Amino acid sequence: MVPDQHDQHKPKSEPKLPVLVYGLVEVRRLLREIENVDDFMRQAVVREPGTQPGLPRVTRILDALATDNNRNLLQHGDRQELREFLSKIEKTSPTIHVSFASDPSSAFVSKLVTWLRGNIHPTVLLQIGLQPNIAAGCIVRTPNKQFDLSLRENLRNQRAKLIEALNISTSPQSPVPAAPQEAAA
Amino acid sequence: MTIWWLLLIIAAIFSLGGGFIWLALQLSGTRKPGVTRQDTLEGAEDDVEHIFNEEFREELRNRGRLHFEKILGENAMFLQQDLRLTTSQLNDYMRSEISRELKEAFLGYQGAIADARQLAVESIEKTKVVIDEERKSLVAQLEKEVTEEKERRIKQFEERMSEIINHYVLEAIGDQIDLGDQLEYILSEMEAHKAAILEDVRNGT
Repeated sequence: MVPDQHDQHKPKSEPKLPVLVYGLVEVRRLLREIENVDDFMRQAVVREPGTQPGLPRVTRILDALATDNNRNLLQHGDRQELREFLSKIEKTSPTIHVSFASDPSSAFVSKLVTWLRGNIHPTVLLQIGLQPNIAAGCIVRTPNKQFDLSLRENLRNQRAKLIEALNISTSPQSPVPAAPQEAAA
Repeated sequence: MTIWWLLLIIAAIFSLGGGFIWLALQLSGTRKPGVTRQDTLEGAEDDVEHIFNEEFREELRNRGRLHFEKILGENAMFLQQDLRLTTSQLNDYMRSEISRELKEAFLGYQGAIADARQLAVESIEKTKVVIDEERKSLVAQLEKEVTEEKERRIKQFEERMSEIINHYVLEAIGDQIDLGDQLEYILSEMEAHKAAILEDVRNGT
């Protein structure tokens, strides 16, 4: 976060969201943190020399946002640019809701977000939900549609095969399955 | 017939009495010459008194009474015989008439019974036909309902059975599958629906 005079003259590319920032909650948290840094900077100007308190601690996601986009949080212009970028993300980025049977790990979410931003939309946001009854897979909900990619839905689609298998196993012509004791013997 | 016999007997008795009276008058009318009428009459009266004295009259009465009783007895016997004959004939007549009437009545009854039996048989036949048709209809309806119920229950059983098995499988393996192991499956599924997701995201945006 040390000011670098050389960076101010380098052409900077459009900011990108780091993988750690995958949801609307993180985006809003980043906005609040940037506002806190702005407040600190404004207060530092009016304070007397020698009484300067330490910089506020920034979170890992804000640090990742600044580092990945080669921005300096001590520069007002960079902060303003990141704030505008995050505001734009908050207002316009699409959100995809994905439900899993259990709470996913950070690595899992990172891989999923990487895939989504690489294949669907570069600034897509992810909202994670829990549905233990789907057993496996996930349910993806886009703004207008829902895609049930769960094992429950897969089994439901295979119901005809299941009934056919049941009919075959319960038909009189089918051989009677051996008793567990006989099979074990 | 008895009345006529009785009248005939009474007529015979009166004719016999009239004959006696006429004979008495003839005998009193024969007078001797030189005798006056007055003498004749007196002589006749004496003779009459002499001939038809009380004993003679009583004898005549007795005879008449006996004859009358005999005739009455004979007529009574005839009347009895006739009554017996009439009774016998009447009994035969009554018996024949009653038999005839009874035969006619029995014939009528038999005819009525036969008609009633025929009507009953026809009614029973019609009822039987109706019952057979109703039974067939009920059997068909029952078979149809049983078949429908059977199909419905089989369908319900199949649906519920598949749901039960699905639920069992989900409960059994739901906790055993690690989410990290599902990443490839989830990404492949999302890759399969990528176009639809992309289109909806663009439209929604």
